[in-house]
Order: sequence, then C-alpha cells, then structure tokens
Amino acid sequence: MRNKIKEPASTLVLRFISGTFAILGSIVCLFPFLIIVSGSFTDNMTILHEGFSIIPKKFSLEAYKTIFRAPKDIMQAYIMTTYYTVVGTSLGLFATALCGYVISRNEFKYRNHVSFLIYFTSIFGGGIIPWYLMYASVLGLKGSTIAIWFPALTSPFHIILMRTFIKSAVPDAITESAKIDGAGHFTIFFRVVLPVLGPGLATVGLFLALGYWNDWYRSSMFSTNSDTWELQFYLYNLMNAQTAIKQMAQYTGLSTADLPTESVKMAMAVVATGPVLLFYPFVQKYFVTGITIGAVKG
Amino acid sequence: MEKKARISKARLAEKLGKQYHGRNVAIWFNLAVTIITILLSMPFVKWIHIINPQELFAKLKLKEKVIEALHDSYSIYNILVFVRDTKTGSIGFFSMILLLVLVTMLFFQFKYIYRFFRKKKDTNGNLNLYLVARTGHIFTILLTLGCAGYIPFTTSRFGMQGFSLSPVVYIIGILAVISFACIVLVEAEERKIYRERGFLYEFRKNWVLFVMLIPVFIYFMINAYLPMLGVYFAFTSFNFRDGLWASPFIGFKNFEHLFKADLYRLTRNTILYNLAFILIGNITQVIFAILISQIVTRWFKRLSQTLMFMPYFVSYVILKVLVYNLFEYKSGVINTMLVSSGLERIDFYNEPIYWPFFITVFYLWKNLGYGMVVYLASITSISDEYYEAAKIDGANVFKQIRYITLPLIKPTFVILLLYALGSIMKGQFELFYQIIGNNGVLYNVTDIFDTYVYRITMTQPLHIGIGTAAGIYQAVFGFVVIIVTNYFVKKNNPDNALF
Repeated sequence: MRNKIKEPASTLVLRFISGTFAILGSIVCLFPFLIIVSGSFTDNMTILHEGFSIIPKKFSLEAYKTIFRAPKDIMQAYIMTTYYTVVGTSLGLFATALCGYVISRNEFKYRNHVSFLIYFTSIFGGGIIPWYLMYASVLGLKGSTIAIWFPALTSPFHIILMRTFIKSAVPDAITESAKIDGAGHFTIFFRVVLPVLGPGLATVGLFLALGYWNDWYRSSMFSTNSDTWELQFYLYNLMNAQTAIKQMAQYTGLSTADLPTESVKMAMAVVATGPVLLFYPFVQKYFVTGITIGAVKG
Repeated sequence: MEKKARISKARLAEKLGKQYHGRNVAIWFNLAVTIITILLSMPFVKWIHIINPQELFAKLKLKEKVIEALHDSYSIYNILVFVRDTKTGSIGFFSMILLLVLVTMLFFQFKYIYRFFRKKKDTNGNLNLYLVARTGHIFTILLTLGCAGYIPFTTSRFGMQGFSLSPVVYIIGILAVISFACIVLVEAEERKIYRERGFLYEFRKNWVLFVMLIPVFIYFMINAYLPMLGVYFAFTSFNFRDGLWASPFIGFKNFEHLFKADLYRLTRNTILYNLAFILIGNITQVIFAILISQIVTRWFKRLSQTLMFMPYFVSYVILKVLVYNLFEYKSGVINTMLVSSGLERIDFYNEPIYWPFFITVFYLWKNLGYGMVVYLASITSISDEYYEAAKIDGANVFKQIRYITLPLIKPTFVILLLYALGSIMKGQFELFYQIIGNNGVLYNVTDIFDTYVYRITMTQPLHIGIGTAAGIYQAVFGFVVIIVTNYFVKKNNPDNALF
C-alpha cells in the first residue's frame, strides 16, 4: 500500500541524489581493491609495460603460483600473526573484562579514581622513545614475541567500552544478590557476568583482533628476526625491499629477473587481506555497536 | 524517621564537640608543620653540602673554569645544575626524581593551606583535609628518605663521599612523621563519627576486586606510567659509552635545538593536517550519513554502507600498496591514464605539492565509513513524529533536513568535533608513514611529530634526547589543548565533559 502513495518531487530528487552519491562513494571505496585484485591476476610484463588496470589486460595465475610454490615465508608470517592475534585477543579480553567488571561495580569505592588513571594515559604520555626504551632496554624484550602482543593488550577505549557493556548487562542488584547467596567476586565474574557478556566480548574482541591482524608497527620496532614478523610487516617489507624479492627468487628457483615482482606484490596483498574482508560483512554489526557506544562515551 | 535523624544529628554534634579541642590542635599543628616544611624547602635553603671540595673536584677531573661556577652547597632545585656542570650524568636521574618528589610535596602542602583557609564544610567533615595533609607528609617523608639515600648513592658513583646532608632534612623528616601520626589519630576518631572507612578497610573488604585489577595495572604501568619517567632522556645527550642513565645532563639544550630546527615545521604540519582531517572529515561524514539515511531500498542501503565502511578494515600497509598503484611513475593507474590520453607523466613521488591533498583524501577515504556510523545512529534515533508533523505542515525533504535533521544532529557534531580537537597534536602516524615512508623529498610538507620521532628511534639513536624532547613538547601541548577544550565543553554542557 505504501508504495502507492505518490511522493512529492523533491523527495524523488533527493532520493536520486542519495542513490548517485551512494554509488559513487561505494565505487571510490571499492575501486582501489579492484585494482589490487586485478593486478594480482595480471601478467607481470603487462603491468610493467601498460600499468595497472581494473580488468586484467592479460590474465595470468603466475603470481599465485609463485607464492604457493614456496609458501614458507608467508606461511610463517601467517602463523605468527594468528598466534599474536589469538594470544593477544584472549589475554586482552580477559584483562579488559576483569577491569571493566571492577570499575562498573558501585560497591568498589575507587572506581572513578581507577577510571581516571586509565583515561589519563590517553591524554598524556611520555612519548614514543621512552615507551620504546621501556620494552627494548629496560625489560630487554627486543626480539621477543612478548613485545609484539603485550603493548596492545588493552586500551582506555576498550576498557570503557567493556565497562558500558557490563554495566547494562549485569546491574548491581544482580551481583548484590549473588553475594548474599555466598558467591565471591570471581565466582560472580565467571558464572554470572561472562555468560551474559557475549556481545560485549565479541565487540571488544573483534576490535582487538583487527588491531593485531593489521599491525606492522610493533614488528618494525621490536622484531630482530624475520621468523617473528607479523604478516603486515612481511608485506610491508616485500613492498619496500628488494632483498625480500631476492630471497623469494632463491626459494622458488627462479632468477630475480623472471620473478613476477609487481603481480606477486599484489597477490601477497590479496592473501594478507583476504581473511579480514571475508569475515568483515558478518561481523560488521559488532563494530557498528562498538563505534556508536565509544563515540558517545568519549 | 525524622525524629531519629534529628536525634542522631544532635548526638553527632555532641560527639564532635567533645573531639573539637583535639582536632583543632592537630589541624593547627599540621598547619605549622606545613608552613615550616614549605619555608625550609625554598630554593635558598641548601640541603646538600659538598664535603672536601678539592678532593672531589680532583677526583671528577674538573677544569678550573667549571670549579669556579660551582657552589659549595646545593638545594634540590639546583642539584641538576651540578649534574650538568660536572657532567656526572649517572646521578642525574636520581636528582630528577628528587626534584619531582619535591614538587609533588609542595603541591600538596600548598593545597593543605588552601583548604585550611577556604573552610568549606564537606559532607564528611574534615576527612578530605586530612587526606591532603597525609599525602603531603607521605611525600615529605619520601623526599627525606630519598635525600638520605642520595648520599650513599653519590658516594658509590663518585668513588668517595662527596655530599653530606644538612640538618634541615632531618628536622623536616621528623616533623613530618610526628604530624602524620597526629593526623592519623584524629582522622580515626572522625572516621568513626561519619562512618567513613579508610583505604585499608576497603582493601580488606574488597581485596578480590583489587586482585582483579592487577593485569590491567601491570599493563598500564609498563605501557604508560613507567615510561613517563623516561622524559629524563630529553634533558640528556645520549652516548653509547655512558649509556641511557649516565649520559651527561645538558638541561634544556635539546629543546633549544628542536626549537631552532624542526619545531615550527612539525607543529604546523601536525595541526594543519589534523584541522583538515577533523573539519573536512566530519562534514563529509555528515553529508553522506544524511544521504544514505534517505535511501529506501534496504539492500542497497546496507550494501553501500558496507562498501564505504570497508577501507576502515584494511591495514595501512594495504593503503601503501594502493597509493603505490595509483601514483607510481611507470605503471601507476594515474600515469597510465595520463599517457593514454596524450599527457605527460607526473613524477608524484618527487613533487611535494600534491601530497597534502592526497593524504587528506586518503584519510577521508579510510575514515568515511567509521564516522558515518556515528552520524547514522544519531539520525536514526530522531523520532519519526517530527518528520510526519513536518510533512503535514507541507515541508519538503530539503526543509525537513534543514530544520529537523541538522539541528538534531548538531550536538553529536559538536561533541565529536571537540573530542577530535582534543587530540589535535596526535598524528595519524600509520597513515603518514605508510604513504610517505622514508621519502625525504616530501618531508617538508608531510613530516609530523610521530614520523619524526619514529625515524629518530629507528635510525638515529644518538638523537634520542631530541626525539624525547619532541615527544614531551607534543604531549604537553596536546594536554593543554585538551584541558582548554574540556573547560569550554564543561561550561557549555557538563554532561559532555571528558572529565
């Protein structure tokens, strides 16, 4: 029935404009990805001579074949990144949820002080160099994998987000009554809070996991051995240094000149980003929730 | 109920009356001690004497000219000058800690005096006043203990006893301990009256909650609070022989150097880029959010939103690949297009003019979807009734947007803008570093604090003093901006204030 009501002309004009902008916006956001994907399927010589294009001018699977002929390096980077993501996200979630639980309880007298101390770290700090020296010199973690996952375990944003989730999912009255029944705080946390905290854990966990998956910075600072590189840093190095290309040539048995360098770079980018873009449409709603809450709470 | 309350109030007054005398003595005594502490810790009171100067100076191998400038005794304020003149960097960090403790102590002592004379009655009697007094004394005691430890510490560093303490330090220490004890005694009485519990009580009752905070506590100590002590490096000139903690203390030389060389350029770039990001970014996001909200076809709406949100999820390394694909000299998309339409190739990577524009565009590209989410949520929360009423009154869509949507999302817009202004000194490090990398040709227009400091960290360890100084400047500047913005937000609407 509703469709039959005649809309005024202005509405239709605006709808037309909206549609146009939405399509344009989507194309602008999609276009660069298409170039990468198409580049990875294009023959290397074609890229070198005729440049990148949206549709492969000369289709070729050579780049992917090259990668999977000697997948040792990229597999190692994949394994390490998965390791960092799993360890960092699970430990980070645990610490964040514990802290969020404590500062969401009214019975904890110092909750505002603790919140402020956490928040303060996001508005003031000693700078990058003291931070770097703390890990590299004072703790001596340069080259250790701990230095890659530890610095991103949690953040004020994640903790505040978690606190908001716990506060709305588990009101004080529930913990109070559980305490009357004789439950301690750890029992309450594991038996009462965690079971109903699904959306909160998913949201914060996805933010953490995305951060770990996309990180290259900590590898660039703390890694001394390419065995511990994160995937994105491996990719970054591949883009920059000729040495990585040479090493690959060695593994595959091709000479450096024969290696399809440009299309291999693109194929690597596809392989590294693939999982994120595949998962993303299904988990988008958690990010939307997180961003909306985070923006309101500062 | 009311009667009961009145009785208990009367009882309270009676109890307070009994305690009044004792409390007053304690508070006045504490005031006296506070004033004595402040007076004795003024810069002209020397706390540390040099014993046997000739032998010490010979041992430190000082030149005549340096010796002439030295004093025979120092206060905590200028002990760092001694460190600088004699190039004894190994005692510099300890000296800085002493200075920091002294400043904190003075802060609390002055706060006590301010509270004392303000005489505002809190709901819990004098408990807040006692808290300030106790904290002040704790720092006084820490300072005296620190000074006592400073003597053996310097002795071991010099290889002979160089310093001795003035009796002033002992006097202050003893007075602080006595006054602390008095305050604790009267505080315990007052706690009983107001049924207020101290930290120890809370800790005993809720120690499990404190245990739960341990992981996050460790994290923030290592990641944020302990590194703050590293600001000391900004005042040293690092060299490999002496190491981090023993490099010569050089005062504000690093800041002078930074001021002369790079500070203006870095500040300008950081602030201008951020302003462009914040203003253009928020406006684009609002426009797109309004347009998207007008779309009726649901799958189309969701699809376009999903696509526009996508760039947020890829790493900056991928962004680097994209930028490279677009602007590369030989095979970049733009250059290919230029050539095929009969134009000259442009060597983008050697032309600084283009990059401020490119960087802004890529920032917008990456953050469009993120910002849209917030504005869309705020638009969806507007009640349909407004629009229905407007339609009945004959307003068309454009008028509805102008008079309903825009005014109603204005608060969100203002809040987001102010929050963003608070971080105006923070750079989008990954964006700049991945797009520009180590391309020195473009530094003049693309270098921000974060990229500058990162380069120093990774490639020029001898300049870490300057890098740390840049970091401190950035942090302090940013902090001041946040405090000022927060002040205005609070004045405007206290609910939106950050703290």
